[in-house]
Amino acid sequence: MTTAIDIRGVSRRFGRVTALDDVSIAMPEHSLVGLLGRNGAGKTTLMSIIAGQDRASEGRIAVLGHTPFEHGPTLRQIIYVRDNQRYPDDYRLHHVLRIAPAFAPNWDADVADELVDGLRIPAKTPLKKLSRGQLSSVAIVLGLASRAPVTLLDEPYLGLDVTARSLFHTILLREIAAQPRTIVLSTHLIEESASLLDRVVILDHGKVVVDDETEAARDSVVLLSGNTDAVDRVLSGRPVLESHTMGAMTSVTAAGAADDSLRALADELGVQVARATLQDLVSAHGAETPEPLELKKAIRV
Amino acid sequence: MTAIMPTTRLHLNKREITFLVPLYITGTVALISVLISLLFLRSGGVPGSADWIAGSQLNPGMAYALPGFLVYLGVQSVATTFPFALTLGSTRRSFVGGTLLWAVIASAYLTAIMTVLTLIELATDHWFSNFYIFDIAVLGAGDLTRLIPIVFLSTLSMLTIGGVFGASWIRFGGRGPQFIGVGLAIVIIVALIVILPAAPTIIAAFQVWWLAVLAAVVILLSSIGMWLILRTAIVR
Repeated sequence: MTTAIDIRGVSRRFGRVTALDDVSIAMPEHSLVGLLGRNGAGKTTLMSIIAGQDRASEGRIAVLGHTPFEHGPTLRQIIYVRDNQRYPDDYRLHHVLRIAPAFAPNWDADVADELVDGLRIPAKTPLKKLSRGQLSSVAIVLGLASRAPVTLLDEPYLGLDVTARSLFHTILLREIAAQPRTIVLSTHLIEESASLLDRVVILDHGKVVVDDETEAARDSVVLLSGNTDAVDRVLSGRPVLESHTMGAMTSVTAAGAADDSLRALADELGVQVARATLQDLVSAHGAETPEPLELKKAIRV
Repeated sequence: MTAIMPTTRLHLNKREITFLVPLYITGTVALISVLISLLFLRSGGVPGSADWIAGSQLNPGMAYALPGFLVYLGVQSVATTFPFALTLGSTRRSFVGGTLLWAVIASAYLTAIMTVLTLIELATDHWFSNFYIFDIAVLGAGDLTRLIPIVFLSTLSMLTIGGVFGASWIRFGGRGPQFIGVGLAIVIIVALIVILPAAPTIIAAFQVWWLAVLAAVVILLSSIGMWLILRTAIVR
């Protein structure tokens, strides 16, 4: 499988702040990759570097085989609309629709019209006066109608109502089928987009903590719940990513797959084993280092 | 194919601000000039007399009205357009090239407008009423060989000066324009300190073409400055 976006050892520092720390990811061509993580995890910085809007402090990045920064032929293959995108003064929707085709060789006016109608974007209101959801809708129009081989969607759901989100999903899937492209989508509405994603990359504190196919990523952790002592025995030293304790009951998200021996022991001790959702996975990796269960028990006593 | 032409189209996308607002401003200045002429007429001025012509040709309205708008136009051509140009896939190099091309087009457009209006004013013996709106000293006093370089170079100067201020804001935030403003003030004051003792000699030897050279230097420095500032600028 061809790699569309190849990131090797990329770090990005802003003064003393390290936004990305030795990030290495290979995103296959025509895949839909979820870029997930907490606020400030480095998602927007990574997308900016992929789109050539920013440059890595260290490391190497290739998009469709070329370093994107100041490489015109590559930049014409990428569309990236930021969640806080700035537009020229006094811009209205028709300005965007008139100029975008000049830059996007694959621009599809029919898709743009369909999205504008479906998302009910006001035509005459200056863009700077649009609501958060309406601005997201403009970004979706640019992102999908450009039909760019590398499409970066930064929080496309922000402020969108449920009908608009449904329309976005429908047209996104139809567009991918009609013209396959590599899509990187960052979002906090994880469950809503989970079924769309082929792969997930989870960032935390600027580092890659998960980079795998979606189903394999979900199997990389296990959810255990039950009596605290029993859960502790089932864990058998597995790293705990996130834990919640209430009274004598504990639920944990632990690293590692749920193998047969774990299931047998859990069954014997009355501990419930569940498969993690994508949201569980992201939440667990974003959680601060949990206290050891032994310590919690000592505090309780 | 580079993104220079699409970037120029991006600037021309807001047609009103590039093509119509300068006309609105010019029209407003013309109207005010006519009203002031009427004021002189009512106060006893004699249209067509030597005093009337000399006084009318000193009308500085155009020189006061357009620069503020043109510098703003230059600032916004970079400050609010650069992030969107990068979003659409322009390189920084193409953005600067496209922006300069747009500035040349806007300057040529304003020059053509001023030239046509001046020709009409001259052909109609100053609008059949001795109103001096474009046949004024600051625009070359009806001499097209002066008017054309004056309007073109001054417009291009102001657009590129605005552009470099906009670029500094993109790159350094609020400190950028402050830094350039203070730097320019220091350079001008130091230059005056150096040349002031020789001012009478310089004034005596002054040639109009010096202003053209000065404008060309300003345009060149502003364009290079815009490129140097933007070539590593990022969008955050």
